[in-house]
Amino acid sequence: MNLKQSVGKRLRGHDEDAELNLTAVMNVFLILIPFLLLTAVFVRIAVLELNLPNLNRRSATAQEKPSQTVVLNFLFIRDNEFELRVPDIKFPKLAKKGGLYDWQGLQKQLAQVKKRYPGSQDIIISPDNSIKYDIIISVMDRCRESGFPNISISG
Amino acid sequence: MIMNNNQKTFNLSNTRRTKRGTFTLRLTSMIDMFTILLVFLLKSYSAEGQIVTVSDDLRLPESTSQMPPRVSSVIAITQDWILVDGRPVEKIQEVMAKKDLVIPSLNDELLKLRAITEGIGEISAQMKGFQGNIAIQGDRDITFDLLKRVMLTCGQVGYNNLLLTVVQKE
Repeated sequence: MNLKQSVGKRLRGHDEDAELNLTAVMNVFLILIPFLLLTAVFVRIAVLELNLPNLNRRSATAQEKPSQTVVLNFLFIRDNEFELRVPDIKFPKLAKKGGLYDWQGLQKQLAQVKKRYPGSQDIIISPDNSIKYDIIISVMDRCRESGFPNISISG
Repeated sequence: MIMNNNQKTFNLSNTRRTKRGTFTLRLTSMIDMFTILLVFLLKSYSAEGQIVTVSDDLRLPESTSQMPPRVSSVIAITQDWILVDGRPVEKIQEVMAKKDLVIPSLNDELLKLRAITEGIGEISAQMKGFQGNIAIQGDRDITFDLLKRVMLTCGQVGYNNLLLTVVQKE
C-alpha cells in the first residue's frame, strides 16, 4: 500500500468528523499579528493649514484673479455666542445652549451664506481672547465643511 | 483518614488521565479571535511612518482635517511652556504677564532658526531652504490670546505658512 492510498483511506475513514489542519494558518497569524501590532498607528495626526498675509504673496494673488469678487464673511466667537456677519444678510446671534455652542445653527447659517454667494470661499474668524484653541479648531472644521476653505483668523 | 483522602484524589486524577490518551486542541475560537484582530490591525495599518512626535503633556485638538503633516520646525505650546523644536523658550505665565503682542524670546529663537535654514539652503541646492513653513502644536486648552501672540511672532519673522497640528477624528 503506497502513501497516497493510505492517506486516502485514513481520510475516508474519518469522514464524519474531519478536522482541518490549522497549523499553517496559526503560523501565519503568529507572524502577522506581532508585525501589524508593531506598525499599527492608533493616533493619526493631521495638519490644518493657515496662511498669514504676506506682502509678496498678496500682490501675486491679486494680479492672478482680479475679477473675483470677495465677500467678507465675518464670524465672531464670543464666550457665550457665535455671530455671523455677512454683507446684505442679517443673522441672529447664536447663543450657547446648555453650555454648548450651537453648532447646528452655525452650519445652517453658513449654508444660507453659501446659497446667497455660491462663489464665496473666504471666511474670517475672529475669536475673543478667552476662547479655547479647541473651539477655534472646531469652528474651522465647520467652516471648511460648509464650503469656506479659505479661513483667516483675525485677532 | 488523610492517607485515604490522598489515595482517592490520586486515583481520580489517574483515571482522568487514562481516559483520554490523545486529544486535539479546539482552535476554532482562537482562530476567530485572531481573524478579528488581524482585520482590525490591517485597518489601522499605515505604511508611512510618523514624522510628527508629540510630547506627553500636550493634548492636541481633534479635527476632521485629512491633510498629512509635513516636515517642518515645530513650536509646541503646552500649558506651561513655549518650546521651539523641543527647547523651552519662554514660560507662558511670563508671556501673559506682558502686554505687547510679539514675544521677544520666541522672536529671537525663530530668527536664529530662519538664519540656519537659509544657510542650509545656500550650501546645497538639494536641500530646500527657508520656505516659511512652521508647525504649531498647541494644547487644546490654550487661549486664543496666547495663540494670537505666537502666530503674530511667527508672521513677524517670516513664517507665514502655519500648520496647526491636530489629531484626526475617527
